[in-house]
Amino acid sequence: MPSTLTAPTDRDDGSGSLPTAPPTSATRGVALRIERTAAEPLPGDAAGTDPDAEPAVDLRGVSVYYGSFRAVKDISFEVPPNAITSLIGPSGSGKSTLLRAINRMNDLIPGTRFEGEVLYHGENLYADTVDPVEVRRRIGMVFQKANPFPKSIYDNVAFGPRINGFRGKLDEVVEGSLRRAALWDEVKDKLRQSGLALSGGQQQRLCIARAIAVQPEIILMDEPASALDPRSTLQIEELMSELKKNYTIIIVTHNMQQAARASDFTVFLNMGEDRAGYIVEHARTIDIFTNPKNQLTEDYVSGRFG
Amino acid sequence: MTDDQTTPKTRVADAFAGVLDDIEPGLGLSDPRPIAVGARHPHRETFDRELQEVKDSVLRMGSLVEEAIRAAIDSLVRHDADAATAVIVADAGINEVQRKVAAMITATIATQAPVARDLRFLLTLDHVAYELERMGDHAASVAKQARKMAPYPPLKGYVDLPRMSEAVAQLVHGVLRALVDIDHVRAREVAAMDDEVDALYHRIFDDVLELMRQDPANVDRGARILFAAYYLERIGDRSTNIAEDVVFLATGDIEDLNP
Repeated sequence: MPSTLTAPTDRDDGSGSLPTAPPTSATRGVALRIERTAAEPLPGDAAGTDPDAEPAVDLRGVSVYYGSFRAVKDISFEVPPNAITSLIGPSGSGKSTLLRAINRMNDLIPGTRFEGEVLYHGENLYADTVDPVEVRRRIGMVFQKANPFPKSIYDNVAFGPRINGFRGKLDEVVEGSLRRAALWDEVKDKLRQSGLALSGGQQQRLCIARAIAVQPEIILMDEPASALDPRSTLQIEELMSELKKNYTIIIVTHNMQQAARASDFTVFLNMGEDRAGYIVEHARTIDIFTNPKNQLTEDYVSGRFG
Repeated sequence: MTDDQTTPKTRVADAFAGVLDDIEPGLGLSDPRPIAVGARHPHRETFDRELQEVKDSVLRMGSLVEEAIRAAIDSLVRHDADAATAVIVADAGINEVQRKVAAMITATIATQAPVARDLRFLLTLDHVAYELERMGDHAASVAKQARKMAPYPPLKGYVDLPRMSEAVAQLVHGVLRALVDIDHVRAREVAAMDDEVDALYHRIFDDVLELMRQDPANVDRGARILFAAYYLERIGDRSTNIAEDVVFLATGDIEDLNP
């Protein structure tokens, strides 16, 4: 589906179509059982995904520097498509830095330097020819604090398609995006009201609707529910599991139970002695929370860390 | 529903309210280390203390069960109806510890959100306590047969029943030792010992049937010996269930050691 990421002369693909489901249709359910025989896949085998599926994004030897300080070092992992991958780890382990590296958000912070590759459909997102704005359209982001524009609900969602020169039926894009964000029924009669008048949980779902209105393939979420009450938190998590049918989601969370409940795969990062973040363990979430391979992981998820 | 004064109850909310003041882990299995491998951590002090109390209670139960098995057969061979009655009465104490363990585990899971080995530990010990409670019931059932037989002369030295009961008591002790050490290799070895118990059971069965065929006067005592042997066999079987729990705790794998 995606074409080249090189700076386009005309951003409109002219299709005017609503966001459509990506090609993969296999469900990504994680087996409930935790018993295992030698014949069954071991953690880290990306069990539950099609082994032949191309990763949604493939990080290779990623290091990010803030000035001379290396925040994460030599991170390599593949993100399976149509699944939720959570990044967990203590403060300072580089989770957010790594997340922002995936759609080049760190470029906006002066003094950052990137080493390694982020491969997306075989193309390095950090290649000179790649337009970072296009990267961020394909790989959207939702932040810790809901940050709707001080505009109407409708204009919040329509904003991305408009600046991308969308020429189709905008009403359909807005409705489709709000439906996918599980917000439509709550706001359909007040689309002209300010997005800021919504509750915290609704604002966060509005931001998700805004992110998916530009037809991304991947959605990055940085602590999307940490400021929400338990009900809104669970609502966001349910929404995520609905969205993964059409998108790939990578989430940073400090909430262990959220990672356990909501994600299919978990990457546990830790801060090394040189204070740079590194991967301790990357496995199916069910394995991380029932029988992790690494003692550090065990200590961290059971609250006996540090 | 009204409170029934005769039904013993333990409230989950009171699970940790001083229940262990009088409980010392028995069996010579006292172990200052927390059974969970994560070791103590300052951030998890309350949680670690709760795990320790659960563990001590379960080991105490194991000690009581092992004692009950030995005492039941002892009362049989000594024709001591009072001693048999004591075993039957003491079973209530085992049941009480089991209720406390279940309440503590429920409270800890509800409040501490355990995962990984901590979760396996709590699930395992809940099941171990359940199995021990049933073993206690079986020991009491053996004692009931002993009480009935006390006035009558022994039937051929009760065949291999004393030997079988000792084998079962050792099985219980061994599997609890494996639990304390979270030693799945030892757990498998102990589970294999259940074959010996089964062989003794079948031999007793055949011998008693032969005695009953020889003389109808043997039927009453013979039937009681068969029941006693059956209860001991059940205790052996439940010991292998505990061995499976140890394997699960140690490895995370759910295995059938007694297929």
